Amino acid sequence: MERGKKIVDGFRFLPPGLRAWVNTFIPGEDFKGYIPWTPMTKPLSQTTIALVTSAGISLKADPPFDMEREKREAIWGDRSYRAIPRGTTEKDIQVNHLHINTTCINQDINVILPLARMAEFEQEKIIGHLAPTSYSFYGFQWKNTDFLKEAIGPISERMKLEEVEAVLLTPA
Amino acid sequence: MGLAARFLEEAGLSTLVLTPTHEFHRAVGIPRSAAIEYPYGRPVGNVGDQEGQRKVLMEALSVLEKAKRPGEVWHLSFTWPEEPKKTDWQPPEMSPLIKFYLEEIKQARKNRNA
Repeated sequence: MERGKKIVDGFRFLPPGLRAWVNTFIPGEDFKGYIPWTPMTKPLSQTTIALVTSAGISLKADPPFDMEREKREAIWGDRSYRAIPRGTTEKDIQVNHLHINTTCINQDINVILPLARMAEFEQEKIIGHLAPTSYSFYGFQWKNTDFLKEAIGPISERMKLEEVEAVLLTPA
Repeated sequence: MGLAARFLEEAGLSTLVLTPTHEFHRAVGIPRSAAIEYPYGRPVGNVGDQEGQRKVLMEALSVLEKAKRPGEVWHLSFTWPEEPKKTDWQPPEMSPLIKFYLEEIKQARKNRNA
């Protein structure tokens, strides 16, 4: 089901070769299988929200995502995750991602992990709370779902401890 | 990212993916998506554009409340102010994956044009 007036072209920014190639992985028809669903139980203004991005953001104090192995093994992607506390700014992070230009994230973390904007929304009571912790993993996982067990599983456990109710995910 | 959203949803969390490539929903089955036509790496908006980032987030977060059934994709109306070639979103070096599949990528383009 698709809503809204504008129809977004998700391939607009891809060069023609990549556009054609990526399209070979995407079916022409809508998804017909089972989709998990947890309904919102409260208005946004009472909901605790955490952020998750696949941009490969780590605190400078933590080990960076492993780009060196990926440079040697083209279809391998780092399966770990990093916790990013609220209040973190671009000054506190490094960004490692071989599939995008990371310059903008290094200049303003909010372009993909909008911690400052969400803190404003909490102050303005647009959302209930921004969780104490948000997260990054590394989005390049080529035909491999091990990152679900190694990164997203532990992230979901930590979210439960912090009473998170909803998650905004921002792919790189 | 769609698989991560599915996992979190199974774990009892309501999720929203703010995605530059909503078409992946057709492959994966993403619980809730807000589609945005912004360059990769900047789904919330441009560097330093606090007001623009707020507008995108307000619209995106509203989808958490508006979406009533699994698999809904809400298309956000925002337009990126630059032509795609000027957005400079690609990495400074060709990624290892693209190098690895370069011939296949060239062939896909030829097939598309044929």
